[in-house]
Amino acid sequence: MFKKVYNWIDERLDITPLWRDVADHEVPEHVNPAHHFSAFVYCFGGLTFFITVIQILSGMFLTMYYVPDIIHAYASVDYLQHQIPFGKIVRGMHHFGASLVIVMMFLHTLRVFFTGSYKAPREMNWVVGMLIFFIMLGLGFTGYLLPWDNKAYYATKVGVEIAASVPYIGEYIASFLYGGDIVGAQTLTRFFAIHVFFLPGALIAMLAAHFIMIRRQGISGPL
Amino acid sequence: MAHGHKSDEKIVYVGDSRVKKSGRRDSTPPDYTSFPGKSEAFIPNFLLKEWMVGCVVLVGFLVWVMAEAAPLGYPADPTNASFIPMPDWYFLFLYQFLKYPYVSQDYILLGTLGIPGIMFGALMLAPFLDTGKERRFYRRPIASSLMFLSIAAVVYLTVVSWDHYQHQLEEKGIVPEHHERADKVREALERGEERPSFLKTAEAPAIIEPEDPIFASVVEAQCIACHAADLNGAGGPSLLGIGNRMTTEEIADIIIHGKNNGSMPAFEGTLSTDEINQLAEWLSKQTQS
Amino acid sequence: MSNHEHQDSKHQPVQRKEMSRRQFLSYTLGGTTAFMVGGTVLPMVRFAVDPLLAKGGESTLVKVIEESKVTAEPQEVKFKVRQVDGWYKSETEKVAWISRDASGAIFALSPVCKHLGCTVFWNTHGRNEYDCPCHDARYSRDGKNITVANLPLDEYVVEIQDGFVYLGGIIANTRA
Repeated sequence: MFKKVYNWIDERLDITPLWRDVADHEVPEHVNPAHHFSAFVYCFGGLTFFITVIQILSGMFLTMYYVPDIIHAYASVDYLQHQIPFGKIVRGMHHFGASLVIVMMFLHTLRVFFTGSYKAPREMNWVVGMLIFFIMLGLGFTGYLLPWDNKAYYATKVGVEIAASVPYIGEYIASFLYGGDIVGAQTLTRFFAIHVFFLPGALIAMLAAHFIMIRRQGISGPL
Repeated sequence: MAHGHKSDEKIVYVGDSRVKKSGRRDSTPPDYTSFPGKSEAFIPNFLLKEWMVGCVVLVGFLVWVMAEAAPLGYPADPTNASFIPMPDWYFLFLYQFLKYPYVSQDYILLGTLGIPGIMFGALMLAPFLDTGKERRFYRRPIASSLMFLSIAAVVYLTVVSWDHYQHQLEEKGIVPEHHERADKVREALERGEERPSFLKTAEAPAIIEPEDPIFASVVEAQCIACHAADLNGAGGPSLLGIGNRMTTEEIADIIIHGKNNGSMPAFEGTLSTDEINQLAEWLSKQTQS
Repeated sequence: MSNHEHQDSKHQPVQRKEMSRRQFLSYTLGGTTAFMVGGTVLPMVRFAVDPLLAKGGESTLVKVIEESKVTAEPQEVKFKVRQVDGWYKSETEKVAWISRDASGAIFALSPVCKHLGCTVFWNTHGRNEYDCPCHDARYSRDGKNITVANLPLDEYVVEIQDGFVYLGGIIANTRA
């Protein structure tokens, strides 16, 4: 049955080569932790992706309860964390996962740097990787306003003030991020939109580019 | 359909747009042939090994998440001056960096934009700055030592910042908000009360009997500096609903002797006994449903 | 994988149906995938389906009207209930149509149409029936469905104390 459906689709869309290419490509020995234990450093990229997937999933589930509104945001976070079974785990995954993503990404960046893997022909992939890094930091920054507690409030304030110190356009950046003159209702909805739509959209596009480039160029050779 | 085709012929697509099976670009991955050795297929061989590592990380992560609750402080309050704002740990190095001279005051731009811009810009453009063929890090002394230096600086700044924060907490005797909050919730639940929400409700509780002469004569003169004009607390705690928490005698005792090593001053002498009694009486009426 | 035919193995070479290495790896990979997906997604799913597993809140009785004011003619009464909706606690207004039946017993109907949930009103068209404005469903005085709807109107739990009518939770119609 499954086979029939698959064949029917494959006849029309020729999908076999797509996943065959992913499944069957050979992975060289020097990145395989089963051959050289030290090759575990090559796992950090994959782990970053794994945690990112957890972040996306847990974030999606959190928005089932969360409201980006200054009156209800705090109460809804409190409610989803403490009153809903497994709320502690789901919010914990999202909160601590954010830190873990940064750690994994940092280690991955260092691995790429110290193995010189960013060198020709892989310069573009490094640049895309750095963009992913900045997007992740942006996600971290916009994310911690959302619970609307004191830390959220002041961290955002400080962050936006830093952006405001940019000459000429700083004030415009600040009022764009604030959605006005103060950290308030409009800031929260803005940060929410940026956190759940704009940055993840950019992130997914960048990740796709990152992976396509890896498939095109292959893993860098052994040292 | 009748474009000269026989009617019993099978369907012919006009401008056949189906994907052709032949003529695909040769998709042999470049890494297959370049590195002879014990290479293996991505699925299932290699992915399984990678996912073993993944499982270890996942189990560790889940244990961490179950053991520790994500922090949640008190609701955002722009008038709160006792809160020490700290960014998440991965921004601490920048946060600390901005405290130093030459990157603050007149040079703030250098701190917020200049140096971080150069550092992150250089990191981003690393492949174009370090263009040599050599990949081993010990054969690229400049790039590697700059990276080591940056890592050391970031670690140093982060540690200093965190250390400073811990000292500040100790000095001011502040318990981080999310711990204090968690303790309060636990205590309230142990006492069998409803889970506290910590929200200053939208329908802000009003002061009861503000027309009482004691309000104009004493409260507005002495109390509102710390407890705010609406008595909902600023430097000092909220007095609204104090009647629920304390008896008249307890309130009078705090007014007379003060509290928290003089944070709440002793008003014995400043106010007459009569005034203190009236004030305590009036405060005990500040109950909330 | 395992071979249960030990007794025959002396006489003829065993026809083992062994898994290939690739198959074994594929199954292990499948199992690992299931573990990783389960570990991450199960807590989230439990988190999401919590409303399905939550017990319905108990409803408290609310005083709505003096017993002596209830007549055979249905009249609309509005009352407030404290509603806890997740983190949002509020007082919501509810409506009941309250009347006496032939034997003088008081009953209260919920005006939520059993067809598709619009709000019915008594006697809009002068037929002494409850009429629904949406799809012209009609209900008798007892809440019995006459057309369109397939179920009678729900009732409120009614209690009478000290000359006052108290209304509680919603129950299925017991009269029609």
